[in-house]
Amino acid sequence: MCASSTTTATADRARQSESTLASRLLANPTPALKWAAVFAALLAVEFGAFLAGSAVVLNSINMGITALLDMLLSTVDPGFAGPVLDLQGFVAGNLEGLRQFGESLPTLLSRDVIPNQGWQTGPTGPWEGTFLGLQPAYAWAVRTLMIVAYTIVMAYWLFRAWLVFRKHYRAADWTPRDDIVDRLRGHRWAEFGIVVLLLFLTMALFAPALGTASVDQNVMNSYSYDIKYFDQEAGEVATINAGKANFNSKSKGAGEENVAPMTYDDFGRFHPFGTNKPGRDLFTILMHGARNALIVAAMGIGLAATIATILALISAFYGGTIDLVILTTADGVMSIPQLLLLILATSLFNGHWLDKILDGGFLIGVVFALSGWPFLWRAIRGPAFQTAQEEWIDAAKSYGQKPRNIMQKHILPYVTGYMLIYASMSFGSVVILLAALSFLNVGINPPTPSWGRMVAQGQPYVSTPSWHISMIPGLLIVFVVTGLNALGDGIRDAIDPESEAGRESEAATGGGA
Amino acid sequence: MSQEVAEAPEATPTDEPILSVENLRTVYHTARGTVRAVDGISFDIQPGETVGIVGESGSGKSVTARSIMGLVDSPGEVLPESSIRFKGRDLTEIGEDEYRDIRGSGIGMVFQDPQTSLNPVFTVGNQIMESLEVNRGLTGQEAREEAIDLLEAVSIPDAARRLGEYPHEFSGGMRQRAVIAMMLACDPELLICDEPTTALDVTIQAQILELLQDLQAERGLSLLFITHDMGVIAEITDRVNVMYAGEIVEKAPVEELFASPQHPYTNGLLEAIPGEHAGRDRLRTIEGEVATPMEEATYCRFAPRCPKAFEDCESVHPSLVDAGGGADGPHEAACLLFPESMPESERIEHHRSRGGDSTEQWGEDE
Repeated sequence: MCASSTTTATADRARQSESTLASRLLANPTPALKWAAVFAALLAVEFGAFLAGSAVVLNSINMGITALLDMLLSTVDPGFAGPVLDLQGFVAGNLEGLRQFGESLPTLLSRDVIPNQGWQTGPTGPWEGTFLGLQPAYAWAVRTLMIVAYTIVMAYWLFRAWLVFRKHYRAADWTPRDDIVDRLRGHRWAEFGIVVLLLFLTMALFAPALGTASVDQNVMNSYSYDIKYFDQEAGEVATINAGKANFNSKSKGAGEENVAPMTYDDFGRFHPFGTNKPGRDLFTILMHGARNALIVAAMGIGLAATIATILALISAFYGGTIDLVILTTADGVMSIPQLLLLILATSLFNGHWLDKILDGGFLIGVVFALSGWPFLWRAIRGPAFQTAQEEWIDAAKSYGQKPRNIMQKHILPYVTGYMLIYASMSFGSVVILLAALSFLNVGINPPTPSWGRMVAQGQPYVSTPSWHISMIPGLLIVFVVTGLNALGDGIRDAIDPESEAGRESEAATGGGA
Repeated sequence: MSQEVAEAPEATPTDEPILSVENLRTVYHTARGTVRAVDGISFDIQPGETVGIVGESGSGKSVTARSIMGLVDSPGEVLPESSIRFKGRDLTEIGEDEYRDIRGSGIGMVFQDPQTSLNPVFTVGNQIMESLEVNRGLTGQEAREEAIDLLEAVSIPDAARRLGEYPHEFSGGMRQRAVIAMMLACDPELLICDEPTTALDVTIQAQILELLQDLQAERGLSLLFITHDMGVIAEITDRVNVMYAGEIVEKAPVEELFASPQHPYTNGLLEAIPGEHAGRDRLRTIEGEVATPMEEATYCRFAPRCPKAFEDCESVHPSLVDAGGGADGPHEAACLLFPESMPESERIEHHRSRGGDSTEQWGEDE
């Protein structure tokens, strides 16, 4: 009140609004600029791939939303279907253009820059057409290692963005999230999960560049490609149709008809995981299978988690009859066997245009979400109820806050953590489910690559030299699912400050409380 | 301070009460039957007045507060014959949206535990500003200025800096001040304080009570103060309602109540204050526990614990009757020992005839 002029001035300054992020960035731009420069460089070398990837993701979203709109509107009036489909086609066309533009841009980690396909000029002669004249195996290995290194650096750099923000630009010295990240960093099992997730994402995102051949050449339209190779019998470089080459590189169990992992076929093509029954490169198929699995699983889990979270918040906030209605619905949905429902839906919609979106993946994702939300809902209903009993909810009600805002602001932050745990764990189960469907030949439509179909295809050859057809995709499934579960465990331990991993840091900070 | 405030309602005795609760009955439908948590209580609050509700744990004090705020959730229910009139408007008849308008800007509430009435993931400033946005539409710089003023009004030093801190960085007393600031942000006319000092130590308690009295004088707030602490009641309230097992058993102006408590239960409560009877070996207590009122009241619910109970207490439900009011206002007690002017048989008949009405009301439900 009667303070000196200097303290009044300080107080006045303090009364100004808390400094915004923008003002803090302007005050000390160096660390942010340093980070941004490196990030821009990382982005630039792969800009075309990112552009194409974003176009694919946006197009999936476009397909999903318009498909839902179409389903909803056609229940009102079938006449709406036309305009919706027109809109879908228009957006999809533009995005396809964007994707093609993106793919036409040169990127560092691509088959064009580091080619692995070539031909030998003599029986022991040098290779032509490959990267630096290396053997195809080495050229492919160089590209693969570079891609893995790139994703590791990129992932670290994105994490570093948070570190830079925390150190230089965040207003608070400490938030509970810091402890969560610290606990996650010291958690070996979670680190394993993170590594697996990173590898899985690498496989999915860089599938076109990782494969030894393009999926078009390898699977879809192999008869429209010609390849050069050194013909041992004729003793000269010959040209052969890729489809025919595949036909002569089959793995069917017998010693002659088998291309084992890490070997060349008769046409100078290197196969890191061998070939499958029709003679296609298994590695290329599995990389694209990872991409398809990721898209479908992410869509299914995302949708299921959204439904589950909204319903859990409503359950917890209103309780009583509304909760009972949701509970009954959830129990009803849960009583339907998911796998049978998926088989039913895929055969019912067989040939329908819905079944064509993402090669049938969209339908599987939606059915998974509609039948899987009760499991997630059950898991977070408890924590949501617990939070709804807290006094700050009553306090918010007693100053007249709207129910929606109370749910969003005062309950949601407390259930998001649980949702993350359960969603990452269910992610693994969707991967398994997808593989199971493909194994039963009702999943993603052939010939689109899928892991489960490869397991099914190799089944007759498990005890023969062609064991790799089943074994490698099977191991990949186990590996990815274990990793995702590990990540879920890790997040759970990290979020819960009373968990084992948190003991030490708790004791250390206890004195300051 | 309390002296001045105490005189306020007397200066304008004809004013309409800001809150008038009549025959409030809140029940909880449980698996074991219907619990009558609040069973037909009535009281008024005049503008600028502080009314206290005192009683043991489980006597229905907090349920009363929640009923007034409209926060009784399923399986609880405010029975339709209840009436809660706030500024002439019956709150039991309005919809949820209208109720939301009344909450905050009309009636605010301070909860018992300052540890949990602030959301730990948001800063204190964020929560005060949220309240300002909801009730007064203030946002941004304007809201921030107002929030600083409010924190200063509740005597938090260095308010501008404190605004950006999280609840865990505040001490218990500070947190309760912040909660009060959050409620003041709504600019309510009536503030319900549900045991706001119970979780705090004695010196902080005194500071919070003083703060509430100051705020009341500055802003002309009416207060409904709920506590089990007789000392707090003596300090802050003008009129007191003593609750037992969902009913008001005695109501009187605060000085009158402490000078001449009439109901045996009030006597017991006053006897049980530590330090009142220094030198004794043991603290005096009331034997037994508050009964859970499941069935309709056809008898005195305090009778099993009452040192003065006699045969008729088991069969006649006492209603509030005059128990010797003074100049400060009426003094009523619900006990068969009153009114003292009548002989015993006439008293019992008097209570029986008045209690009969409520029995009839209940008859239809059973």
